[in-house]
Amino acid sequence: MLGNLKGLLVTLGVVRRKHVTAQYPDPKKRLQVDKRFMGFPALLWDYSNDEPFCTGCMVCVRACPTQCMSAQMQDNLRHADGTSRRRKIIETFEINLNRCIVCAICVDVCNFDAIEMSHEHEMSRFERNGARSNLQQLLNMGKKFQSETGWEPIQPEKNLGSAEAVAKLKAAGGQASEEKAPEPAGAKKSGQTGADS
Amino acid sequence: MMLNMGPQHPSTHGVFRLVLWLEGERIVRAEPHIGYLHRGSEKLCEREDYTQIITLFDRLDYVANLNCELAFCMAAEKLMALEVPERAWYIRTILCELNRIASHMLFYGVYGLDVGAMTPVLYGFRERERVILLFEAVTGARMMHNYIRVGGVKEDLPDDFGKRMTVLIDELKRGIDECDALLTNSELFLERTKGVGTIDGPTAVDYGVTGPMLRAAGVKEDVRISEPYGIYDRFDFGIPVGTHGDCWDRYYVRVEEMRQSLSIIEQAMSQMEAGPITAKVRRIARPPRGEAYLRTESPRGDFGVFLVSDGGDKPYRVKVRAPSFANLQSITHLLRDAYIADAVVILGSTDIILGEVDR
Amino acid sequence: MTALEVLYYALGAVGLLVFLSMTVMALTWLERKTLARIQQRMGPMRVGPHGTLQPIADVLKLMSKEDITPSSADKRLFWLAPVAFFLPALLLWVTIPLSRDLVLRNMDMGLFYIVAISVLSVAGLALAGWSSANKYALLGGLRAVGALISYEIPFILAVLGVGMLAQSLDLTQVVDGQQNFAYILIQPLGLFIFLAAGLAELGRTPFDIHHAESEVVGGPFVEYSGAHWAVFMLAEYVNTFTIAALTVLLFLGGWRWPAMPLDGVGHTILSLAWFLAKTYLVILVIFWIRGTFPRLRIDQLMSFSWKVLVPLSFANILFTGIVLYYDLGRWVLTILSLLSLAAAFYLVFNKYGNLKKRNTVRVYSVRELGLKPAAKPPPPDAPSDGDPPPQGAPGHQPAS
Repeated sequence: MLGNLKGLLVTLGVVRRKHVTAQYPDPKKRLQVDKRFMGFPALLWDYSNDEPFCTGCMVCVRACPTQCMSAQMQDNLRHADGTSRRRKIIETFEINLNRCIVCAICVDVCNFDAIEMSHEHEMSRFERNGARSNLQQLLNMGKKFQSETGWEPIQPEKNLGSAEAVAKLKAAGGQASEEKAPEPAGAKKSGQTGADS
Repeated sequence: MMLNMGPQHPSTHGVFRLVLWLEGERIVRAEPHIGYLHRGSEKLCEREDYTQIITLFDRLDYVANLNCELAFCMAAEKLMALEVPERAWYIRTILCELNRIASHMLFYGVYGLDVGAMTPVLYGFRERERVILLFEAVTGARMMHNYIRVGGVKEDLPDDFGKRMTVLIDELKRGIDECDALLTNSELFLERTKGVGTIDGPTAVDYGVTGPMLRAAGVKEDVRISEPYGIYDRFDFGIPVGTHGDCWDRYYVRVEEMRQSLSIIEQAMSQMEAGPITAKVRRIARPPRGEAYLRTESPRGDFGVFLVSDGGDKPYRVKVRAPSFANLQSITHLLRDAYIADAVVILGSTDIILGEVDR
Repeated sequence: MTALEVLYYALGAVGLLVFLSMTVMALTWLERKTLARIQQRMGPMRVGPHGTLQPIADVLKLMSKEDITPSSADKRLFWLAPVAFFLPALLLWVTIPLSRDLVLRNMDMGLFYIVAISVLSVAGLALAGWSSANKYALLGGLRAVGALISYEIPFILAVLGVGMLAQSLDLTQVVDGQQNFAYILIQPLGLFIFLAAGLAELGRTPFDIHHAESEVVGGPFVEYSGAHWAVFMLAEYVNTFTIAALTVLLFLGGWRWPAMPLDGVGHTILSLAWFLAKTYLVILVIFWIRGTFPRLRIDQLMSFSWKVLVPLSFANILFTGIVLYYDLGRWVLTILSLLSLAAAFYLVFNKYGNLKKRNTVRVYSVRELGLKPAAKPPPPDAPSDGDPPPQGAPGHQPAS
């Protein structure tokens, strides 16, 4: 009987502890997601030049395990004007969020810092195919993510669209990057490590 | 009387059908039917490249994801004869042992539910939640991590990992002790599990049973010892081995394994140093032509991956040796002369995950 | 029976029904909150402050659910079973006193009446199991019949022991006999037997094998939905309250012990409050047991009753008889009870040996088992094992 009595004492001891559960929909009482949390993918907005980072190169579309994305590329009219460094820009982009398995492979393979896993994970819609997100919805998700986390591009000198912003960066960062010690190889994302793609 | 513990049942641990022929409450014959969760994973592996396959392996044994990812990546590395850096091995070991604790906590919880106690579930999942939150901080996802890559791991650990780990180890120690005190020596639990569903060592080996089930039957077999991999030789830990091979032994072997995993994690945290986290390898691996078979010790047993490569970026064939599949074969032997109530307890003690049984 | 008496009884019955309904609703809420606290979570929080209106929401939900009757079920028995289960639960309350004056009809064979009526609910479970046309329900129903019948004997004998001490089967006399010492102090063995048998009669953990959620998924109740199932749950909670009330009346001194002022309306209200407080304490213990323990298998349950509880209850009666016949001091009975309880606990404990012997798992260090470093990968230009894969197999994309 002693084992039983010890069990009773264990449960009695738990009664006076604070509860470990959160009451979900209440915004003050729910669990906050971590910084690295992988929610649904979102397209990021280049505020320096007021256009998306995405150029429509389709690498993410090919790399997706569930083939949930489709995209269309177009010539960037602003490149002809000279106001953008991007030759091509995205025209349409669709992600079927029902099929996305939030594996973040698209983020790994993207060369333009254009796509990132946002913190969106709640996805209830009233329409049956309401989870198919178009370019504008993805850009909105991306802007929300950028404002919440203060996201900065990993390779701004290569990927920013406005030539003035890049020049300013080079001038300011030129001294800074000389002082900074070379980053250890392990600190970069795996997409940038290694020889060729 | 034929009773169908059908695919929809609270206690069959997934979509699993067990057809029982009964004489009153005694089971005369038992017939397991599987395949309800077959998703064609091995066929899908033929048309996905090595990075995408890791997402498939995540979903095979969906409570011990990192162990499955590790097995596949190690198989590819064996083909490529790749040397994975030290820090990557430490990170892999720590995360895989944490995943072992999480998996065994899930087992503890649902096993308590199988024998009828409703609190172990909540205690087990409380502890598991601590581990899962740490995984979210490291890999970005609570369960389907897609973190271990061919050649190393995807990203380095966050800066506060050491602090969180220290706190977590303390919490897990207390949690495991509390879960142990609640259920293990309770006479009611002993009544339900001692002497129930016995299997002896030679029979278990004949059935191809591996993992905690085999060790509970008295056989001192662990893949980490018979085919060493990784850096386990640098740690001093123990392998719990049972005597009778009944449900209690299987249960307690897993509880002790949690403690041993915790000790491995402590030693790894003290030994880990800074360094590269992945070898110099292409983003999508391209192993040379050949084949390799690799065994790892997953929380369920001997998880093996057979990889045939033709030199391209997609494998030619991937075959998964799932431990739950072999463990499940012994269910007809275990259910001889059992009651229906025992059927649930025995099935729970085999700790199968239908994701890897059916693939 | 004059018209006034009929009116009195009718009003009393209605009042009793209202009281029981309120109690059942409070019990459902209390159970969920207690289990939640044991499991370190919160329980119902949304409906009303801290979920206090949750029972009302439950009742509304159950009433509005569709009442499904399986097509191959025996319709009359299917409809009769909940009634057969529920009526005895209510009929018991005719004679259970909540206070000296708060009883519908005090019988001088009160305990006999209670024991006799409580056996009738077995029929309800058997009917439910049989008429549901479902193998799980049949198994659950048969298990229920076996378990409940096994535990009737210790239940009756424990009640008999108390009757011997009080020299009466009238419940108010039993409580009056406890004005100096509650019977728990004199007959702790009787309390243990009564509580164990009572838990089994209720079908609560650790004796709830017949409606075990994890195996027979509800047992005899599996095909009932909506209002039908609500009747079963109502009966179960009324029974819980009954067993707790009986425990308090028979062993814990009812509304008397310790001292209680004896006159007037103040006495009635105070003693009612004291009685309810003790009853809820017993109910909390019942919920605490539910939250902690696994359940016994049906054959273990029945063997516990026949091999442990029945001999213990005979011993209880024997000791009570000896003490009463030879007019020994009551403390002799306490000592004898405690000794036999200790003997029973020791035998149950020792069935599996002491803690050291129970632990049949030994931890072997890896050094002992000979752990070696991992094999180094072979150099890249070594020939791979096995034949290379064939070229041009169907469905196979050639290597780029």
